[in-house]
Amino acid sequence: MDDYASSDDDYNYSDDQDSVGDVFANDDLDFPLVSSKGSTTQVITKESLLAAQREDLRRVMDMLSVREQHARTLLIYHRWDVDRLFGVYVEKGKAFLFAEAGVSVDECRDSSSLAYDSVMCEICMDDVPIEEATRMDCGHCFCNSCWTEHFFVKINEGQSKRIRCMAHKCNSICDEAVVRTLLSRKYPDMAEKYERFLLESYIEDNKRVKWCPSTPHCGNAIRVEEDDLCEVECSCGEQFCFNCLEEAHSPCSCLMWELWVKKCRDESETVNWITVHTKPCPKCHKPVEKNGGCNLVSCICGQAFCWLCGGATGREHTWSSIAGHSCGRYKEQEKTAERAKRDLYRYMHYHNRYKAHTDSFKLESKLKEAIQGKISISEEKNSTTVTDYSWVNNGLSRLFRSRRVLSYSYAFAFYMFGDELFKEEMSEDQREIKQNLFEDQQQQLEGNVERLSKVLEEPFETFKDKKVMEIRMQILNLSTLIDNLCKTMYECIENDLLGSLNHGIHSIAPYKSRGIEKASELQVSWSNKANNTGVTAEVERPEESGCSSRKRARKEGLGGGFFDLNLPAEFLDRN
Amino acid sequence: MQASRARLFKEYKEVQREKTADPDIQLVCDDSNIFKWTALIKGPSETPYEGGVFQLAFSVPEQYPLQPPQVRFLTKIFHPNVHFKTGEICLDILKNAWSPAWTLQSVCRAIIALMAHPEPDSPLNCDSGNLLRSGDVRGYQSMARMYTRLAAMPKKG
Repeated sequence: MDDYASSDDDYNYSDDQDSVGDVFANDDLDFPLVSSKGSTTQVITKESLLAAQREDLRRVMDMLSVREQHARTLLIYHRWDVDRLFGVYVEKGKAFLFAEAGVSVDECRDSSSLAYDSVMCEICMDDVPIEEATRMDCGHCFCNSCWTEHFFVKINEGQSKRIRCMAHKCNSICDEAVVRTLLSRKYPDMAEKYERFLLESYIEDNKRVKWCPSTPHCGNAIRVEEDDLCEVECSCGEQFCFNCLEEAHSPCSCLMWELWVKKCRDESETVNWITVHTKPCPKCHKPVEKNGGCNLVSCICGQAFCWLCGGATGREHTWSSIAGHSCGRYKEQEKTAERAKRDLYRYMHYHNRYKAHTDSFKLESKLKEAIQGKISISEEKNSTTVTDYSWVNNGLSRLFRSRRVLSYSYAFAFYMFGDELFKEEMSEDQREIKQNLFEDQQQQLEGNVERLSKVLEEPFETFKDKKVMEIRMQILNLSTLIDNLCKTMYECIENDLLGSLNHGIHSIAPYKSRGIEKASELQVSWSNKANNTGVTAEVERPEESGCSSRKRARKEGLGGGFFDLNLPAEFLDRN
Repeated sequence: MQASRARLFKEYKEVQREKTADPDIQLVCDDSNIFKWTALIKGPSETPYEGGVFQLAFSVPEQYPLQPPQVRFLTKIFHPNVHFKTGEICLDILKNAWSPAWTLQSVCRAIIALMAHPEPDSPLNCDSGNLLRSGDVRGYQSMARMYTRLAAMPKKG
């Protein structure tokens, strides 16, 4: 049973629904689930951004009985961490919470100045009619044109999320409704920008939400529920590590992966090889490799030189000495060269295996195609015993998944058992024991992955039913075995290897049998209902049922992706 | 642009009207450019700057008063929050704590207050800041007084 469908059971598709829904149509892996609690990561698209914030806003509004803009100001100040916000509220009280974030709720709109027809604006020092001035919640009153310019300057300075009152030492944040109204009169572009910044604050200031790192950017953001140490797949197909935003790399830790990528990229090992195996010719400076013979080497340019010290020499020599030349640095240089050579071979060992598995999953699409061909041939045979071929696809997915795990496991081993990161953490003996333990598991996994690969290559479309059933059993068994081996290896890494370290900076995303978690779409409904307030946006909240059945996005209700935040949340939530 | 001009003009009229109100500050607008001002301020009493007259240069941005004016000392001064060479001033209200409700006149007042109460923890003049931070108030005062005499007092005779 597909896990995604169980978390968002009934969609009410409308006619003009977006194509984003196709994510669910993907034929999915059919693996036993580790947990049945459903998807904990969600895709937030441009369309569902507002709805994504709504829940947090509502919680704050209900708890503190404040208006939406105050809730937003509080949340932006506390980086959308509702629990932290409530923590401050419980510990230090409402007054402190509000003052700290710059929220003023003591409305003094009926103060004495209303008695006059005009007020003196302290900014432009003009007397302006009372209708052309605005008093903020903090009580400070200035003329509308000064306010407008103030908002303009502040947004340009990148402070749109926290525009303060103009009065000296007034910490109060300006009412977003006022900002919106005044700005849109003179600078509609700026008002739109302001709107967007406020909305996107939910992504940018929130540690549970991050932009999808795809290039070109798909416009989506991903929200995780609890643990930010996980791997996610965006609805655009990008798979990444939520923690470091690089490609999904478990069982490597983020730091290991960063080092590994760097090491592979800057070809430092090639340079290393050249330094170890060659010496520059003293005449033409080309790197020269010694391919045998004595220590008198001659370059293709004709220059002869001593291999030991690199100095130019004559050609007269014996096996042990060069005429007119002596150098005594033999021992010292050999030692460093040995070491560099050993490191190089070690890196090559891991890199070759890492590369081999990486290359194999580059051939994924080809193999997948071939297999699809075989399946359709088989299906045409109209066999009575074998009707379902999903096991082939499942086996294939398992193969690809475990190949990824294998390839990253080599990068992991390179750092885990190398000197670079954990030299101080383990004694030689400890390291050897652990390395053996890990390599045994790795080998078992590798062996079974290769077997699965071989079985999948079998031309089963030409076989008799009985033989096909045999192959099916083999694939099923191998898949389960490999899944278990992967799980054990991750556990071993988490508990026995990384878990025993003193410095706990390395941690990895937990293993998921069914592959990297696909973030589910956040379900929202936007509909145009005849209403005297004009364009309205409604978020459906099916509170009576308790489950999250929500309608799909409707394009036209969005007004070209521009939200109307003007509507108070109470109105939006009434339905 | 228009708003800043109008506001500066108002401030100019205010300064003309209340010329005698604050004898410590003498604010003058450039004859040809309303965005350039200079001010003469008197060193506050009971400080090492007492008796000195310091000249300030104001450069007002077009976004004024939404953005703060740039102010610097033209007269050399030994003070932790004033750059010894350029005369640049480190004062919060001239940076992020600026409020459009401030005027050039009130900025001058804030600078006089800063002269009387230096903030050695955010020094632009490290020598001066270090003297104060290490508790050598006498050292700081004598240096400041010396520079006041040298640079900020009319030459006698």
